[in-house]
Amino acid sequence: MYEEPYRWVEAVGNRRQYLDEQFKQGSPVVALTYDGGILLTTVSKGTPKLYEIYDRLALGGMGHPTDLEKLRFSLLEMAHVEGFNRSPSDVTGSRLVKYGIAPIIKQAFEEVYKAPFIVRILVAELGVKPEKDALLTINYDGTFEETIGCAVLAATPAAQTKMTAYLKEQTPATLSLEQALDLALRAWAIGSLAHQQEESDQRAEAEPPTSGAGSSAAAIPSADVLMAHVRGIVGARTIECAVLERQAPGTSKYRSLKQADLSRLLPKVLQSVVAN
Amino acid sequence: MGMQGDFLQLLKEQGYILGAPTAVGAGHALTNATTILAFKYRDGVLVAGDRRATAGNMVMYDRTDKVLEIDRYSVMAIAGVPATAYEMVRVLEHSFKYYRRTQLQELSFDGKLRAVSKLLKDNVPAALAGTGAVVPVFAGYDVDQGSAKIYFYDILGAEFEGVEYAVSGSGSPTIRGILHYLNTWGEQPLNTLPEEQAMVQALRLLTSAAEFDSATGGVNREASLYPVIKLITEAGVQTVQDATLKPLYESQVVRYV
Repeated sequence: MYEEPYRWVEAVGNRRQYLDEQFKQGSPVVALTYDGGILLTTVSKGTPKLYEIYDRLALGGMGHPTDLEKLRFSLLEMAHVEGFNRSPSDVTGSRLVKYGIAPIIKQAFEEVYKAPFIVRILVAELGVKPEKDALLTINYDGTFEETIGCAVLAATPAAQTKMTAYLKEQTPATLSLEQALDLALRAWAIGSLAHQQEESDQRAEAEPPTSGAGSSAAAIPSADVLMAHVRGIVGARTIECAVLERQAPGTSKYRSLKQADLSRLLPKVLQSVVAN
Repeated sequence: MGMQGDFLQLLKEQGYILGAPTAVGAGHALTNATTILAFKYRDGVLVAGDRRATAGNMVMYDRTDKVLEIDRYSVMAIAGVPATAYEMVRVLEHSFKYYRRTQLQELSFDGKLRAVSKLLKDNVPAALAGTGAVVPVFAGYDVDQGSAKIYFYDILGAEFEGVEYAVSGSGSPTIRGILHYLNTWGEQPLNTLPEEQAMVQALRLLTSAAEFDSATGGVNREASLYPVIKLITEAGVQTVQDATLKPLYESQVVRYV
């Protein structure tokens, strides 16, 4: 039935709708460079969303856990075989993304009679020098984007834009890990709030208009409001943080931040919540 | 489906073969020309090796590193055919990392030992053909159990736990006797030696091996060439700097007759 071009375009359009729907419950992911490397942060429910891929590569994901696992294994296989057969310095994020998983994701997305991958992926690469740090994001349709400084995954493009704008605006020249974590969590809150807002706007549209609606384009909330939002959510979830540290001893630069690290690094308002 | 997180299996699926036997003229035996040693001391385990690589009577290279760090808590010291030995170390290094990253937990110490045995077993044809025999000493710190461990192997992959010490290579018969003597009748058992004394003993042992084995390079002060010594403790692997070894060697190893 998809042989006709029009049907195929329609089917792909339906897929987009279906996939956008799938990310509604997803938690945003924030990646940010700081003075010692790259920080990845998210707030997860049960299944972890941040992973080590190779000596200098980390992965963050949104979407279906099983799809994320499949792609994580593909990345791990490609990276380790390449690192063994050539050398660890030949394993780069951009090659793994551009020639590795992005084509796989795109193909699955366009084969309309098969299931697509329900994932958005972020690959962070720690360069030998700070200016070589790279952040790559891949959407469920296989489109990828390479950025420096910061990158985010969010439920909707609008939320993603808001988060990125906030990060760009707030980032000073250099950040310590502590400052980066604080900023990353605020950006996460922006994403999470933006998404909640969109949901309620949609509900409002469905219902007859009442006065006071349409305040969705409100100004960016203050830092306190953002932190209060995170505080309200982390009780039932976990703040997940991982770093790629340039100065880490040995070849593996990835480190997942433990409870003890977090209670030291987190902003004061969150420390008590996390300690429980 | 194969074993989860097995990197060697992944390589094999792509056609990789470790230690394919090659035809070699009869009687052409490649010896294990070197000396490596490991013993437990107060804080963990010390692994040391000389730095000479030979081919028959010829010294190929005097700055070889035969004590190779596989991950933060384990070290493999190699005696035998270097090409195969380095390849094994590369496989192991990637295997342990791959396991940790796919399975989201460290491979257990026993799992690591098993991985070494399997590689040696795969390498048997090459070992018997005479082109790829490797006789390693594997040492590490078992974080789960909080103890240092030493294992040595034969070329077929049999694994032996060296309770207090292990040696390998052509210079090893000389120092095996010394280690036995020291540990049994010495002033104190090896496993109670403090770090500095352990390093002094390692330097003395390698110097003795070099005295009687032409394939073992001792200390060459003119070229400021010292053996490779690594210490593995609860904090991980640490390589001892030449600057630390130099004064120890000069004050406690050299004898001015």
